[in-house]
Amino acid sequence: MNPLRMLLEVLRVQFKNNWVREAVYRTNFLTAVGVDLIWIAIEFSLFGVIYANTPTLGGWTQDQVYFFLGVFFSSDALFTIFFQRNFWNFSDLVNRGDLDILLTKPVPPLFLILTRWINLTAFSNFVLGFGILLKYAGPAGFQGGWHWLSVGFWLLMGVLSAALIRFAFSIWIFWTERGFAFSRLYYQFFSFATKPDTLYPKWIRYLILSALPFAFIGSIPARALLEGLSLRESLMVAGVLVGFWIFNATLWRAGLKRYQSASS
Amino acid sequence: MRLQWRWAALKNGLLEDAAYRVEFIIGLLGSAAVPAAIQMVLWYALFHVGTGETPRTEIAGMTYSDLIAYTLVSTLFTQVRGGDHDFDLQEMIRSGSLSNYLLRPVGVVEFIYLRGIGGRLFTAGLCLVVGAIGMSLVGMDPTRLFGAMALAILGNILHYQVGAALATTAFVWEEAYSVLMVKNMLVQLLSGELIPLNLFPEKWAWVWKSTPFYLYVFGPTQYALGKWSHWDLLQALGTAGLWMLGAWLLIRVTWGLGIRNYSSLGQ
Repeated sequence: MNPLRMLLEVLRVQFKNNWVREAVYRTNFLTAVGVDLIWIAIEFSLFGVIYANTPTLGGWTQDQVYFFLGVFFSSDALFTIFFQRNFWNFSDLVNRGDLDILLTKPVPPLFLILTRWINLTAFSNFVLGFGILLKYAGPAGFQGGWHWLSVGFWLLMGVLSAALIRFAFSIWIFWTERGFAFSRLYYQFFSFATKPDTLYPKWIRYLILSALPFAFIGSIPARALLEGLSLRESLMVAGVLVGFWIFNATLWRAGLKRYQSASS
Repeated sequence: MRLQWRWAALKNGLLEDAAYRVEFIIGLLGSAAVPAAIQMVLWYALFHVGTGETPRTEIAGMTYSDLIAYTLVSTLFTQVRGGDHDFDLQEMIRSGSLSNYLLRPVGVVEFIYLRGIGGRLFTAGLCLVVGAIGMSLVGMDPTRLFGAMALAILGNILHYQVGAALATTAFVWEEAYSVLMVKNMLVQLLSGELIPLNLFPEKWAWVWKSTPFYLYVFGPTQYALGKWSHWDLLQALGTAGLWMLGAWLLIRVTWGLGIRNYSSLGQ
């Protein structure tokens, strides 16, 4: 079978399995919607309180920040759908030796690791996020028209960035006994993604645009959609993502060499 | 005997945290440094980014220095506030492993708290020392930290009590963890962990005043910074005591009802 066709077939089966599982746990759907509604409400309240005291924040109006939140929530929801559970289970695969079975399959193990769990209920969160994006696009100054085509591209860029960063935090499980601290650290740094990057002082901005590119998840896509990126910024985004890709691939290979099965 | 098992639970929890000390320290640094940095960024943006020719000097009666001081001091109490032992409780109910604990001659709610509190008490001590040194260096009164930390520790107990009562939803609902997640998200905003609560416009102030969450971080910070008098602290301690009493009664009722309907699926 053609390798690409095989991967697509595996993906189709994973989708089917996940769909069946999610159909069994229907209340999970309502729960996910409820929790995310509260999360969104809290982020909105936080900015609501701040904007009750000032008309602009770091040059951003309230509508622009809400548009940014729409982009961020949509991008994060896509990450949740496709990757979040897989990364949570990654440390167990290595610690318990469950990775063994994946290494014996005729499919790249990383592909299996990253596609095993698909959280289809998080699709509702994507709808919520995209609804916010739509509602505030006009008031925030988004030009609309053919620019809508670029929304999909920038959301995918946000998801790709989140996956690359999360991988860079998860891979250390090959060298540590428990991956929980690194996962927690990821989510703590993730807070940087929840605010527009222009709010940050220079040195933090450099950090979240390079070594820890959390700004690529929501802030850079929102800015790209509202005002466009300069050539330098576009090159920087591409360069950082390629750099992360190489870094992750190197660590993955080194991790596999170090891996010792814990299974019986 | 009554003290013995409590001391053993506390000691075992501390030993477990000590066994994973690198993780403990990474977690502590991350949970202190990153949220503090995010807050300071917000204050920086409010006062220094895009403000034009006439920069702001005050927001809701607070200067830039006031806000920075709030962030630094509140970080000490934010470290004491948390603890996810209520998630342990709901998982035990959900998975059926609660059965093992029901056979033991100890109160399960108290046991889980004591088992997990060791690390927090160590953190509280550490924050007290770091805070006292820092406050002495900038000419503030470090003795206020003791009263503030006492309130923060009561806040920690209250936080767990509220979580323990909410965890009983696991007796009737598979997805009870989401109730606790929602509680934690609300606590983050309404405890003063994300922003000082006096930034809330007056018409919204009833929202945070009507929950006990402000006693976790905002109250201790206000007292440590000298914004609250000793009398205010005493009132806050009394209020925390009343909330704790109410939460204790709630735990008795919810756990009593829950265990009556509990059918274990565990081994």
